[in-house]
Amino acid sequence: MNANGLEIRQSSAGVWGSSTGQRKMAVVSKYIDTSTCIGCKACEVACQEWNDLHIVPTVQVGSYQTMPTLDANYWNLIKFREIETDGNFAWLMRKDQCMHCADPGCLKACPAPGAIVQYENGIVDVNPDACIGCKMCETGCPFDVPRYSARTDKMAKCTLCVDRVQVGLEPACVKACPTGCLHFGTKEDMLALADSRVDQLKRSGFQQAGVYDPPGVGGTGVVTVLAHGDHPEWYGLPKDPRVPTGVRFWKNVLRPVGVIAFAAAFFAMVGHYLTFGPKKPKGGGEKPSGEGPV
Amino acid sequence: MSEVVLPGQTRGTGAGDAAVVRARGKEDVVVGDEIVRHRLLSRVIHWAVAIFFFVCLLTGLPIWTPLFGWMATFFGGLNVCRWLHPWSGIVFSVFTLAMFVHWFSEMRFVGKDSEFLTPSGMLRYFRYQGEDSEVGKYNGGQKLLFWLASLATLLLLLSGIVMWFPESFGQGLREASYVVHDVAFIGFFAMIIGHIYLGTAAEPGTFGAMTRGTVTPQWARLHHPKWYREVTGGGGRSTR
Repeated sequence: MNANGLEIRQSSAGVWGSSTGQRKMAVVSKYIDTSTCIGCKACEVACQEWNDLHIVPTVQVGSYQTMPTLDANYWNLIKFREIETDGNFAWLMRKDQCMHCADPGCLKACPAPGAIVQYENGIVDVNPDACIGCKMCETGCPFDVPRYSARTDKMAKCTLCVDRVQVGLEPACVKACPTGCLHFGTKEDMLALADSRVDQLKRSGFQQAGVYDPPGVGGTGVVTVLAHGDHPEWYGLPKDPRVPTGVRFWKNVLRPVGVIAFAAAFFAMVGHYLTFGPKKPKGGGEKPSGEGPV
Repeated sequence: MSEVVLPGQTRGTGAGDAAVVRARGKEDVVVGDEIVRHRLLSRVIHWAVAIFFFVCLLTGLPIWTPLFGWMATFFGGLNVCRWLHPWSGIVFSVFTLAMFVHWFSEMRFVGKDSEFLTPSGMLRYFRYQGEDSEVGKYNGGQKLLFWLASLATLLLLLSGIVMWFPESFGQGLREASYVVHDVAFIGFFAMIIGHIYLGTAAEPGTFGAMTRGTVTPQWARLHHPKWYREVTGGGGRSTR
């Protein structure tokens, strides 16, 4: 989407940082209360409509779920899960979408300058012009969100409706939600809202209720209320998501080590030449025995 | 035949061309005042590998770090690099396989070759110390490069396939592939920097072995004394 007019905090594959810090912006967040979601999928439809996405055939997966996973043309999917615990049964619904991490693994893994950007308000966005379709963001994302499209040879994912947000509107999914389980505002406000909802849930008997805002990725731009807060995996959420070790090792360690190794090898050869010089055959006139005139 | 050595015959009087002609099909032969070191097939394989090594390197570096992003311009941008890199990697791997088959029987470590396996042995070579009269056609360092280049290519190919089709592999394998691909190419490129230096500036007369295909007897006696003795039959008159 690459919304014009929004300050960029960080950009993929930048040599220097992108942020100027010129304009102050509040970090925004989407609030998802999984305990009041009724699985109506109005948010799915709103997302498809607002973003003018191509129609994706639905797939019967044995539940109300529209299709097995997210798609390059389907950025918002309600995941239905049935969990049996201690003789109890839980029918869980969670809105699966980009989490807009403060420390985005996709952006870290992306090798194309400017293909993934994080705006000053925390929204992580894709710039299809710069995307080279390498799929490295898929490995970088701890939430399995970015999707490659063979048709466009680009990656696509939820933009948190940055085009709406930058003109003061809430994301399309939030606008469409009929139960009020979705809200949009500053991260601070959404966390406060989530805390009050968790207190409410605890009073209702859900002692393990909690807010999912994983610190391993610096917190997310999606604040999720879970009635079973001690078991995010029941909802299909990783317990302690982090930018993958392999991606961090590549970018933070191997890259500088490699550049230094190339420079070291080059200067070692220059130093060798200056110190030892070329290895020439001794005495130009010396003839091998039996050899004719040379 | 033109390869017969006449007394007083030197390059530029006809024998030079004879050496090039002879070097098309046969190596390890003396022609005039030159020794054919690499026949045409050997040189074609070497340069095919070298060219695709650099296509892979120059299309890979801008993807690896934006520091080398300017290299993508030579190929028409990062999108082209992203398309060209895996395909040129496949071609590179095929030529490296050809190189492996072509040379592997000559690359067994014998005698003092294994001295190159230790840092101190390698250092002795670079300090021009420890001359070994038993060095054959390839010294331990060249053999080491051959095996490490083959190993690196295998690792690059396997990890590259995972990176090319990540959806077909698990998260752990994908992450490991980034690390393996990086480590293999960093080591490979550092070795190639040394290889190019030794083949050009450091050891005059070596580069001709891979272009014209020939070296001088003095060069052969200095760098590969045992090979020199074998090729010349102890003397310098053989035309075998």
